[in-house]
Amino acid sequence: MINEYKTYPCKILKIEPEGVDSKNFTLTPPYKGFSFTPGQYVMVSIPGFGEGAISISSDMNEKKFFQLTVREVGTLTSEMHKKKKGDTLGIRGPYGRPFPIKAAKGKNILIVVGGCGIPPIRPLILDATKNPNKYKKVYVFYGAKNEDVLFFTKEYPKWKKVCDLNIALENPKTKKYQKGMVTSLFDVKKIPTDAIAYVCGPPIMYKFVIAKMIDQGLKPENIFMSLERHMDCAQGVCQHCAIGPYYVCKDGPVFSYAELMNFKSWLSPI
Amino acid sequence: MTKSKFKQFVDFLLRNNFVIAPQFNVEGVLHLNELKDSADLYLGSQLPLDSWKWYIAPPYQQMFEYKGDKMQETLTKIKSQIFLGVSILDMQALTLLNQVFERDPYYQEIKKKTIVIGTSLVPEENFYQFFENFEENKLEHLQFDIFLAVQKTGYKIYSGSEDGQRLLDKFGYKDYQHIEYAGPIREEGLDKQMVEVMDGMQNYHDQKIWDGLNERCIQCGKCTIACPVCFCFRMYDQANLEKDTGARNRCWDTCFYNEFTQVAGAAPAAPKYRLMNTTAQKIYFWYEHHFVRTPATFSLPGCVGCGRCSRTCPANIDIFTTIKDILAARTKGQAKNKK
Repeated sequence: MINEYKTYPCKILKIEPEGVDSKNFTLTPPYKGFSFTPGQYVMVSIPGFGEGAISISSDMNEKKFFQLTVREVGTLTSEMHKKKKGDTLGIRGPYGRPFPIKAAKGKNILIVVGGCGIPPIRPLILDATKNPNKYKKVYVFYGAKNEDVLFFTKEYPKWKKVCDLNIALENPKTKKYQKGMVTSLFDVKKIPTDAIAYVCGPPIMYKFVIAKMIDQGLKPENIFMSLERHMDCAQGVCQHCAIGPYYVCKDGPVFSYAELMNFKSWLSPI
Repeated sequence: MTKSKFKQFVDFLLRNNFVIAPQFNVEGVLHLNELKDSADLYLGSQLPLDSWKWYIAPPYQQMFEYKGDKMQETLTKIKSQIFLGVSILDMQALTLLNQVFERDPYYQEIKKKTIVIGTSLVPEENFYQFFENFEENKLEHLQFDIFLAVQKTGYKIYSGSEDGQRLLDKFGYKDYQHIEYAGPIREEGLDKQMVEVMDGMQNYHDQKIWDGLNERCIQCGKCTIACPVCFCFRMYDQANLEKDTGARNRCWDTCFYNEFTQVAGAAPAAPKYRLMNTTAQKIYFWYEHHFVRTPATFSLPGCVGCGRCSRTCPANIDIFTTIKDILAARTKGQAKNKK
């Protein structure tokens, strides 16, 4: 019988710093035929330190490698940060329901991200830069604490060619970026009401961002959010990630707001 | 099968097998233990305090062993076992566990080596109305190997699998009927009570119920250990004393513990990394698992009505009362909607 808990060794090809507390790991694919869709995640394993769910942050069209962008916060991520080029990480996956990208073809897209919520969305932005005519217009609203924790800054010129990139910083050190939370960007930019929204960020952000979106006339079924939960099995068995009738690991991590709005427990249980 | 013949059958089972059955311990508590003498076997309507999950989805399992970066699947030798005297309620629980772990190689390895001998006995107090009266046609929706339908003078015997048939043939008993498993979902559709409780929880939320439980529950997690269908588990790595070696294991977990929803950081870290922080949230999650999530995923009741959680609860929380409250809130809500 196939053991779905088995991990595959992936060699680290490159490690780049992203902001002051995060790193971008470039890895060899775990097995032949490995492919993913934006929004999916893998279980990263380091023997002795356990496993954790990490979203894939690289271009989905790239077959030779994939990337994980990780902030150092807990036991496993601290251990990941100690790894060097040439070391290996155990990987199983990819898992989860991705962002619905086919439905967004030819439409306006609004991407709202907060803090380290940008890695799961980056594959979407990279896809848009590779296929400039795939979507009508791509708006990116990105909120972060300050300049030190902005991810992928080197790529912004490339992104700007296809995206309307807007950044708001809570405590900016320079005058280059707007001061404020990510929601303040809604007051500056008018978003077409037919836009399809992709959101990823800390739980507290969703409440305010969704209120703004609904206020501007976006439909609940067009708002897609990627959620973070504690996951052990990644197959909808162990219960850690459950919300109402759903499992974030296999029914998510991407949900439409229409699916969750009736459950009291999606932001916190009741 | 007469009672004396049944005793011979139990002795026959004991000769070459590891048999687990309900027995009273010295303190007079009914537990599941290895049966060594057929005289110790208790076959009655009282349910053992332990559930069968102890032996089919054990509290601790090693999954992998590691040395440096290399991980090797742990292949534990599983001993064949016979579950003797499984109440029809617990059979329903095992049928659900079989569904939950259908793709789990560790569970399936144990299941393959397990023979389930069920009985039609149910405790007098149970709210799972479906099994209030035993009827033969209910059997085809349960997974078992041999079934003993209690009659006045003995047992009517059914077989539910080839393993069960082989065992009966080997013993030399031919007067049994075979029941082919027809899947867990019944012809008449979903369980009525299950649908009502699920609807009550999803559409007629009454915060008072949960605030009340918030005051009483002490988050000890005993109900999750006692429950025959609480199957949450946690995966963790355990290092050996020898450098860079150890094992990846899994053990039962409890949704009442703080680490259950913690996404990062060491165990006592700040609540900002946890999704559930209050007792009300945790107990609601527990009820949601049994009465919303399991029915939604498997179309099967996530509670078999055995009442073990109520028996073990040190705070005297009674599941039957909570269910009545949920249903009452639903009736009240429906009446309000009509107006």
